[in-house]
Amino acid sequence: MQYAMIIDLERCVGCHACTIACKAEWEIPVEFGRNWVYRLGPKQLDGTMASTYYPGLCNHCTEPACVPECPADPVERTFTSAKTGETVKMEVAATWKDPFDGTVQIDKSRCLGCGACAEACPYNARYVNPDLVDDVSSDGKADKCTFCQPRLLAGLEPACVQTCITGARIFGDMTDPKSEVSAYIKKGAKGIEATGGSLGPNVYYFGKAKDIKLLFNDSTPEVADLEKARKRAMFAKLVKPAVQKAGQIGLLGAAGTLLFQDRNKV
Amino acid sequence: MAFTLNRRSFLQAATAAALAVPLAKVVSAETGVVKTPIDPKGTFEDKTVTGGICEMCFWRCQLVGKLRDDRLVKLEGNPKSIDNGRSICARGNAGIKYLYDPDRLKYPLKNVGKRGAPVWKRISWDEALNECGTRLKGVVDKYGPHGISVFPHGSSAKYPMHFFERTVGTHNVSEASFFQCRGVRDTAYLATIGKAPGEFVDMPNAKAIMLLGGHMGENVHVSHIKQYIQGLQNGAKLIVVDPRYSASAAKSDIWVQIKPGTDTAFLLAVMNYLVKNKKYNAEFVDEYGDGFDEFAEAIESWTPEKAAAECDIPAAQIKEVAELLAANAPHVAIHPGRHVSWYGNDFQRQRSLACLTGLLGAYYTVGGWVPAKNPKVGGTSWKKKEANHEFNLNMDKEEEPIYPFSPPGTPTELIRDAALTGKPYAIKGCVIWGQNPIQTIPGQEKMKKVLEQMDFVMCVDVMPTDATMWADILLPEVSYLERYDLIKTGTQWDFSKEQQQYIAARMPLVEPMFERKDQVFITNAIAKIMGYEKDIPVKSIEELVEKDLAVAKLSLAQLRKEDGIHLMPGKDPYQMPEDFEVIFFNEDLEDYGFPGAPTYIPVEQPPKGYARLLYGRVPVHTFNRTQNNVWLHFAMPQNPVWINDEVAQKIGLSDGDTVELVNSEGFKSKTTTVVKVTPGIRKDSVYMAHGYGSMNPLMSVGVKAGIDDQSLITKISVDPETGAHGMRNNFVKLIKDGKVLDIPA
Repeated sequence: MQYAMIIDLERCVGCHACTIACKAEWEIPVEFGRNWVYRLGPKQLDGTMASTYYPGLCNHCTEPACVPECPADPVERTFTSAKTGETVKMEVAATWKDPFDGTVQIDKSRCLGCGACAEACPYNARYVNPDLVDDVSSDGKADKCTFCQPRLLAGLEPACVQTCITGARIFGDMTDPKSEVSAYIKKGAKGIEATGGSLGPNVYYFGKAKDIKLLFNDSTPEVADLEKARKRAMFAKLVKPAVQKAGQIGLLGAAGTLLFQDRNKV
Repeated sequence: MAFTLNRRSFLQAATAAALAVPLAKVVSAETGVVKTPIDPKGTFEDKTVTGGICEMCFWRCQLVGKLRDDRLVKLEGNPKSIDNGRSICARGNAGIKYLYDPDRLKYPLKNVGKRGAPVWKRISWDEALNECGTRLKGVVDKYGPHGISVFPHGSSAKYPMHFFERTVGTHNVSEASFFQCRGVRDTAYLATIGKAPGEFVDMPNAKAIMLLGGHMGENVHVSHIKQYIQGLQNGAKLIVVDPRYSASAAKSDIWVQIKPGTDTAFLLAVMNYLVKNKKYNAEFVDEYGDGFDEFAEAIESWTPEKAAAECDIPAAQIKEVAELLAANAPHVAIHPGRHVSWYGNDFQRQRSLACLTGLLGAYYTVGGWVPAKNPKVGGTSWKKKEANHEFNLNMDKEEEPIYPFSPPGTPTELIRDAALTGKPYAIKGCVIWGQNPIQTIPGQEKMKKVLEQMDFVMCVDVMPTDATMWADILLPEVSYLERYDLIKTGTQWDFSKEQQQYIAARMPLVEPMFERKDQVFITNAIAKIMGYEKDIPVKSIEELVEKDLAVAKLSLAQLRKEDGIHLMPGKDPYQMPEDFEVIFFNEDLEDYGFPGAPTYIPVEQPPKGYARLLYGRVPVHTFNRTQNNVWLHFAMPQNPVWINDEVAQKIGLSDGDTVELVNSEGFKSKTTTVVKVTPGIRKDSVYMAHGYGSMNPLMSVGVKAGIDDQSLITKISVDPETGAHGMRNNFVKLIKDGKVLDIPA
């Protein structure tokens, strides 16, 4: 399966409920976001006025640019299908694409906080949350939209989908031909592919032709400069060997803990 | 990241004081350092508390809270709601940042400095209430009850407002929701169909929707937006009349880029076209109309060409709108608007909208104007007394009303002028409850003078708004998440679905913190000191709500059992009441010296070099009330001023430039904002969101963010029929790098 999200711009009114609900659900620091809403226009487009929104989030790409850039030492991880209970073992760094639901996830306890993944994402969908620090990283931890995987596992919708006041966010399995998501894709909903890339974004936009055109004209990114991401990753590898070790220990022992740094003292 | 560390630390300081780490803490055995789980666990497994009713705006969505260790960590729509459902808007979602805002008022405060430049001293509730009671009694004893003025807003202000109005006996109540917002709409429709229209348009089932200035999307009320979007999804054609390419214009089929102030001319031409071409609903008009012939005659000069010249739009577009409405009648939703205090000629425009709806036969019909049939609950409050016009500023010496179509209360300018001149009598006591008259009422300096001349000013609020700086005593109120008060009733939002009704009482989701108190506690204590103990209607707010619920055979206990919302079968909303009529020509209006048929009154045009200042909303703020909310502030930290791209180019402005504004009366903005350069606004106007630019330093997040549009609305227009304000008759220039830029004609 592959979880995917539709953003129906015919329904979206640009209200920001999605961004604020996400902040509340996942305790996102004030000035960051796992998702965003930008207003585009009003501007002239082919002789007519147009204005729409770019409600964005992690695209949970089919071939994510971020995942291969993670410098954390690979470890074996067991994945379980929520649907069938089937398991599979995979070597992963601190971020991966889930083999069952297609979401892209991060293991924060192993994240070095180097920001290489954030650099590699052309959509700016990742950021380093400086509040999340532990023995592995004092620089914070990469964070991004998880498609609310913990909520999905509990049988709920993503927080942004639940709160959306017009039903403009539609979530489901795009490999299921009977899903609403599939129906939208059949109707012509499109992902914003980065110029020069073939990432296969799994957030799809649907709307009036002029709105879609405005969105794609204004919001299609170039693929990221991976050199920069790799420099970050390299640097992290060089200066953080001890930290990585601590990370390994962390994985075995005090898994999932961090030091809460009081930033007000900074 | 464009944000500096300073900015980040600042934002964190603004939130952290009240934000105890909600994650469970773990102390590491080896290091002794405090550790917490690295991944936030989400709120979905936290305890759910029900009974919340939102008041981040006044639509009042039904909520549930997620509670962790006695702290609210998230708000969501109540899944049982047939109104907002599980959805809530950005402001609703940010409610916890309002609740735990460290800048919130916490204790009773006494101003030991000056009004406007306060020095606050914390005092006890006993001292504060005693001071309020004795000082207000002093005003009543010396000047009479009419010496007191009240500026209320919001559900908690009703009980104290009724006390001062009904029991103490002053007419001098100025509700912002009437005199600076929707009062004109309500009385214009009362004069046409005998009912205030609310926003009762059956948009989900309409074939055409017309918004005049309504900018849904920028203006958000959850179930109303659901109605609007459902209508569009069902294929309704959308007509948006607006000088600006608003959020709604962007979804429209026809955008009428009208010249500001000329809306009535446009509507008269549309109506005249329908009449002349026999495209109105003659059967409906015959059956329900009154004064149609006089009406038709009065508007007959309004050809599309004449209106086109006045409104600066193509005549063909006026015809197109009329044809579209006629083709889809009677299933057309002519939206009555909400905030309509625009130009001081607003009563006539609102009458026109009501008449247009009648011409199309669009009352009580699928897709038309259809009021929801809500269940009945009680309205317990201070006892009403017999109507008495003594000391009513809205009555002249011959006992004739000055503003005969005034909404309830007294028109704001009458109160302010009496206060400033002492004629016909002095107004020396002021109670401000939930309203921010400094950023609500035009003529900010005038408002300050009104407050300065008072013997006593008390303020009750949740946040230290700008108005609170003029208080002698400032009392901290519990928020909507910590109190009982209002009972929200309604129906399902789509009338094509099973008819249902609901009753939901606001119940606290958390205990109040610090020394915050509710409206019944505060009002009763003051009433006691003022000598009105025997008139007190209830001992507590809970008792009030219980009494009101009992009318519907409900109780708080029962509502709690039902997760905060009581559902019951509804009634057919389309059934027309027997006595319904549409008064096209109103003889009462004529008797009072106003035109009996809707009439266009031109407004002043911008002087050379100036643009008209238009204002509106953004979806993340409710006026000034939410400005200090750190999440909402960050979503839209200032209010960019929209300026036409060609104009901007001529005067050398680029998108993102920092500017100040100065108006034609010489008032300059105290702060700055940025420019948004766009073709989506007329050349003769600029636009900005209302509510920004707070000046109270106690609002550490919102202070000086963006420009306060109200500080530039200094020219005072008053609607002659209603006494309500018009606030879009002010003209501005932009200032960049200290240089004042003339707006080219």
